[in-house]
Amino acid sequence: MKLPNTPNVTRRSFVASVGAATVLPPATALLADSAEAAPLAAHHGATAPTEPGQSVYLFFNVAEARFIEAACERLIPADESGAGALAAGVPNYLDKQLGGAWGAGERLYRSGPWLPGTPSQGYQLPFTPAELFHTALRAINQDLDKGGTAFGDLSAQAQDTYLKGLEAGGQDLDGVPSAVFFDMLLRMTIEGFFSDPVYGGNRAMVAWRMIGFPGAYADYYEAIDQHGVKFERAPMSIGEDRHGHVHVQPAIPATL
Amino acid sequence: MSPNNTRGWKSGVGLVIFAAAYVAQAPLADAADTKSAVPPGAVPCQACHGGHGEGRTAVNAPRIAGQTAHYIEKQLRDFASGTRENLVMGGIAKSLSDADRAKVAAYYASLSVPGVAGGARPSAALAARGHELAVQGAEARRVQACNNCHGPEGGGAGLSAPYLAGQMASYLASQLKSWQQGTRRNDAGNLMASVATRLDDTDIAAVTAYYAGLGAAAP
Amino acid sequence: MVQRLKEVDVVVIGVGMVGSILSKELAAAGYKVVGLERGQARFTVPEFQSPAIHDELRFDVRKALMQDNTREPVTFRNNSSQTALPVRRWESFLPGTGLGGSMVHWNGQTYRFQANDFELATRTRERYGKGFLDPDITIQDWGVTYEELEPHFDRFEYLLGTSGKAGNIKGQIMPGGDPHESPRAREYPTPPMKEHFQGALFRKAAISLGYHPFPQPSSNLSQPYTNPEGMKLNTCVFCGFCERYACEHYAKSTPQTVILPVLLANQNFELRTGCQVQRINLDSTRKRATGVNYIDAAGREFEQPAALVITSSFAINNVRMLLLSGIGKPYDPGTGKGVVGRNYAYQTMSTVASFFDQDVIINPFMASGASGTLINDFAGDNFDHAGLGFIGGAFIGAVNTNGRPIQYHPVPPGTPAWGKGWKDAVLKHYNHTVMFSLHGSSVSQRQNYLDLDPTYRDAWGQPLLRMTFDFPPNDLKMAAYVTAKAVEIGKAMGAKQVNGSPRKGPYTTQQYQTTHNTGGTVMGKDPSTSVVNRYLQCWDVPNVFVIGASNYPQNASWNPTGTLGALTYWAADALKNKYLKNPGQLVPT
Repeated sequence: MKLPNTPNVTRRSFVASVGAATVLPPATALLADSAEAAPLAAHHGATAPTEPGQSVYLFFNVAEARFIEAACERLIPADESGAGALAAGVPNYLDKQLGGAWGAGERLYRSGPWLPGTPSQGYQLPFTPAELFHTALRAINQDLDKGGTAFGDLSAQAQDTYLKGLEAGGQDLDGVPSAVFFDMLLRMTIEGFFSDPVYGGNRAMVAWRMIGFPGAYADYYEAIDQHGVKFERAPMSIGEDRHGHVHVQPAIPATL
Repeated sequence: MSPNNTRGWKSGVGLVIFAAAYVAQAPLADAADTKSAVPPGAVPCQACHGGHGEGRTAVNAPRIAGQTAHYIEKQLRDFASGTRENLVMGGIAKSLSDADRAKVAAYYASLSVPGVAGGARPSAALAARGHELAVQGAEARRVQACNNCHGPEGGGAGLSAPYLAGQMASYLASQLKSWQQGTRRNDAGNLMASVATRLDDTDIAAVTAYYAGLGAAAP
Repeated sequence: MVQRLKEVDVVVIGVGMVGSILSKELAAAGYKVVGLERGQARFTVPEFQSPAIHDELRFDVRKALMQDNTREPVTFRNNSSQTALPVRRWESFLPGTGLGGSMVHWNGQTYRFQANDFELATRTRERYGKGFLDPDITIQDWGVTYEELEPHFDRFEYLLGTSGKAGNIKGQIMPGGDPHESPRAREYPTPPMKEHFQGALFRKAAISLGYHPFPQPSSNLSQPYTNPEGMKLNTCVFCGFCERYACEHYAKSTPQTVILPVLLANQNFELRTGCQVQRINLDSTRKRATGVNYIDAAGREFEQPAALVITSSFAINNVRMLLLSGIGKPYDPGTGKGVVGRNYAYQTMSTVASFFDQDVIINPFMASGASGTLINDFAGDNFDHAGLGFIGGAFIGAVNTNGRPIQYHPVPPGTPAWGKGWKDAVLKHYNHTVMFSLHGSSVSQRQNYLDLDPTYRDAWGQPLLRMTFDFPPNDLKMAAYVTAKAVEIGKAMGAKQVNGSPRKGPYTTQQYQTTHNTGGTVMGKDPSTSVVNRYLQCWDVPNVFVIGASNYPQNASWNPTGTLGALTYWAADALKNKYLKNPGQLVPT
């Protein structure tokens, strides 16, 4: 369990991290009107699990987790069609990936020199994904602290405005261009939403159910002849056993 | 359906066995079957397939409880057309209307599969080979893992392939033989024939014992 | 300390499909062959089994079957005025690695270039006149004709078992096939794949506009097949995990399913995996190769002497091998002199999205890598280019291969990139959209080339390949033209909304656009504009043969693999029946 050891930990977030049930970050209030609010109301983004099946954060500290949970939920919000990023476990996905081999720079060419490059040349920074997130999140939280309100405490509209500001670029997050951070956050949020639940996101295959994607077991030899007919089978995960329980296994390497 | 209804029944040994079995076993309805009312077509089914759809090895009638309705309906159609050859089932299937088949299939799909013992325990070598074929396949045979299509731990994969876990070993073996011999030809794309014709008798004994040994899928 | 091994007859660099075929042909002819593959051995069982293989994050997004950028990327710039920088993560093109090479994780789309393509320079001049082309364009004739290659196309397709419908058998146009194709001797080995709903919608619309739709030729098979090597393949089940994945069903034609077991059983062949070839060694005359040096997985360096060296790696890696070995004169775009690295080309890809109402259920996830229906009416030189200001064209088809949601979630233009508006659009359109692929040709131009990077190195300390490329204006004009035609087909399908996305410059490495990198070791009749002769033998070093799409002087409107298969059997024939019987330069210079 990652202890809050940064100087920016407030008393409030510290209390939240030890699971004080009476202290609920306002971010969860954003979900109060959604169908997913009830199961999530107890989830603080704290390092202590607050309901069965919730994962402990191993990469994000408390302040980082609060930003990530709120930000992901703005990127893919819960609404009348169903769960958003939070209920789907996207922050958990991010936590496990950034804390694992991918975060540490799996498959990334890491030698210098590092020159800015054109958009056609892609990513040219030395940061691994893990370093990039820690660096950017620290800078973001420091910036927000100056305004006195943590990201998780802002209104949804204010959160969107802030995210659009990051997206537009022009901010230097201690060496990480804000647009680069935003792009990686958005990509990984979509990954966490739509990837196989074996990685810890797309919980209960909620995102696949929303679009009707059947998942990892995929034999359509007969069904393909039924042009225009909906394929009515529950989605299936790489990690599920024959009782339908998904065994999460996030440390799958990016090689064969 | 009255036991004396001989509409559409083939004469011969099958009928005699069927009639004897039917007389010996009265149709059951108990607490476990309350998920849906027993449709008329299901009553003769129980004589061979058991009161809970658990199957009977003596007549090579497989467990059908918890199988998908889609699969059961297709088998009934194929028995009727003859792409799946079976003396007894051919007659039964022909005697059922499309509506009957749908009802019967839905009924058995709704049954939970009771847990049963897997039968005789295979040898360690056979068990290992069966497990290997099921979860991984065999390159030397050019055979892929059964579970690719038959689902996690052979539990079935919806509209594509039936469950194998907890199915009778002797029944599974008889079907692999039928694919080999061509008496069962209702596998679209020759998918099962391609696999079965590359298995030898030891492979068949191994993989069928493995799946039977998985017992039934608990809900 | 380099350990020198015993000399063999042939060393083959790269054991993908090309390396497997050549090794098998030569081993069967009695020659001692060593195949050096830098990646690991892998087979259908156990490595390619599902459900583990059906993992979009791992194989699509993270490119698990591809060359590891950590050890060996390339560098890239759009033009010579820029500094090339490392492609730190693959996106645009995805070089594979491992036994079986890229044809393990290809889509199975199997085409023949047309007769016109092999003599593109001559025929373009004849049809459109000398001044028609942009002066920067450097298209060339191949030095071999379609007619010479036809029996080798046939052999390759029968090796794979390709499923399709012939359009032209010995000059007779066959209904249901592609009437534009160049004549073939006989039907495809297996019948066409089933058509998915998208393909059916496309076909009706294309016919209504007077075009000639046909089923995509597919090396994911429509039925069980036994090839001439005795290898058995199964029926494809349309699982929708084709490109970037390996097939668990023995249904995709890969070296593993069509030839490798036969090769590996031959005592004349020895496979060594985990071996990164560093260079081809030359003697003091610089006109004869003596073998290769390689470093194995444990970091030990070996010299493998051989009488004949074949480099059959992925296209761009063939080019790099010659540059690292000092074989052939490197191309200099400033002077226009030199040949190695010259005429690098790619593929010009555009798309059209057709959005339907909620009652039209597409099921995009039901597909093989080579499903669907397409037209060649606007491909190659199949239409009159007079007055259009460009050459080349694209095949247009409803050939979508998957519905894997991390990367496939089409939304109309103007949809926000995130938030509720994005989510609503994704849910609304996921199962109700048809995507067309417009697979466009790529001319060579003098500014586009490959050479060695001056700054960045791989994990073995060798200079990376440097790629200098941008879309020739010719190809962007072509893309705009064919996209407009394809939009009309979308409208004729009755879609509610149709949006065309023609390819625009500059070329970016950050968006996937095929792994159809061609050129750099071009074949031809003139040593001043080619690296290899028409038998794929190096002009400068006659005991080195280079076989790959690196031989293509420019790229045509179709996937390169089918044509590469033909060149491979063509070269195997030349090696067995000409070169090895009498080693020496096969074409007088």
